[in-house]
Amino acid sequence: MEEITVQDTIICRCEEVMLSEIINQLESGSETTKELKLKTRAGMGMCQGRTCRPLLEQAVSFHTSNAIPCVSDLTYNTPIRPLALGELARYGKDL
Amino acid sequence: MKADLVVIGSGPAGMSAAITAAEYGATVTIVDENPIAGGKLLGQLYEDPNNGWWIGKNVAQALKEKVNRLGITCLQETEVWGISPHWKVQLNTGHEIEATNIVIASGAAEKPVPIPGWTTPGVMAIGAAQVLTNYHRVKPGKKVAIVGVDPLSLTVAHELKMAGVDVIGIFLPPSDEFSLHRSHPKQMISYLSSMSQLAPTKPLKLAGKLAKNRLIQNIGAALYPRNGLKVWGIPLFLRKTVVAIEGNEQVENIKVTHVDSNGMPDRKNVKAIEVDTVCLSGGLSPLAELAGAVRCGFAHIEELGGHVPLHGPEMETTQQGIFVAGNITGIESAQVAMAQGELAGTSISARLGLLHDEADTHIKNAQNQVKKAREKSAITFQPNVECGREKLNRMWHENLATFR
Repeated sequence: MEEITVQDTIICRCEEVMLSEIINQLESGSETTKELKLKTRAGMGMCQGRTCRPLLEQAVSFHTSNAIPCVSDLTYNTPIRPLALGELARYGKDL
Repeated sequence: MKADLVVIGSGPAGMSAAITAAEYGATVTIVDENPIAGGKLLGQLYEDPNNGWWIGKNVAQALKEKVNRLGITCLQETEVWGISPHWKVQLNTGHEIEATNIVIASGAAEKPVPIPGWTTPGVMAIGAAQVLTNYHRVKPGKKVAIVGVDPLSLTVAHELKMAGVDVIGIFLPPSDEFSLHRSHPKQMISYLSSMSQLAPTKPLKLAGKLAKNRLIQNIGAALYPRNGLKVWGIPLFLRKTVVAIEGNEQVENIKVTHVDSNGMPDRKNVKAIEVDTVCLSGGLSPLAELAGAVRCGFAHIEELGGHVPLHGPEMETTQQGIFVAGNITGIESAQVAMAQGELAGTSISARLGLLHDEADTHIKNAQNQVKKAREKSAITFQPNVECGREKLNRMWHENLATFR
């Protein structure tokens, strides 16, 4: 038998952002997922928040006691999937 | 490339939408990122006491045969990375499909369960274990622990057991800002008991009955046996939680402790249990990024699984010509997804003028089929899904004036 040791855990896998960093930001005044993203890069990696988005929303809602907003503060942008520049170039036009 | 309708996703909802529209005479293209059509159907395998075995793989095959017979173009292993106005669907192959109507049937994603160590190799989402076992016929591991109690995790536990995997138990997630009621023994007991009438599979029914037991209900979670009760030979631990997953190259053990009836862990007596695989079940949430990128209106409805695109009684979103069907509209069964797909396909056929003066009748019939599928549906993943649907309808009507 052993005691629970306080362990940190990854929230955003792509940008390797830990829960402790998220909580630090929330304790120093961040109130939205967008602020968390801009401060820590959580949700800005390869998968564009496909994994951590619900965790960030829950963390903010839990620490601020605000309901998760209907329109997410984390915008969805194209391309919504990783895209090689070569694939993009084939369109021969601007995004 | 041009089509009357582009369907994104070839799961139960997407294929049903494509089939319905093609049967009415529309030219349809389906785009899907997976190698094989069928979506989540491919992993589904359970015995429904009323309707016998539901073998998702066979359902998928039957749908795919219809799709082929109708001459619907199917682009597998093709990703949609965007939709530009009115409407062009952009593919990672460098092509673009022009269409007046689109059905987004992108399904759902699993919510992560961020226990310390959750990114260690050998930890996987419960859905991955299901696809490995039922579709690829590969055992995810030799000795498996499951974290998270819900219809999906109980069903997969049973499937793993049938495949000969040693499932050492189903545990609660640790109490934190992410697990909320899912780490709470009392709430999980009443959730399980609410499932007992509806539960489609024997182990689910058993779990429900077990939780419904008057004694357990009356005394709450306090006297739920610490060593769990067995469901199909698998211990269901409603008083134990996994606080960490450990291992260097690969999962080696989980750290387990008892919780009180409110989910608070015993911090002193943590035990290591050897396992080589951990399956995490955090519930499902609608996968709505495409609808978000094309600026559809949204609602956040917990009962439906999270953010869902606002949509009306014909499945159209706030963007004209963009429709949704299946789990993107809220987490429900494959049967509901198929009925929603048929409704979207019917509505679109009406817009295309293919139904002439029969349009209203056909749409009404398709709407009734969705209702029926919902009533007959054995699995309700989300408690109070009906209440969630009502909220969404209310929001659609309240917002109607702002986007139409």
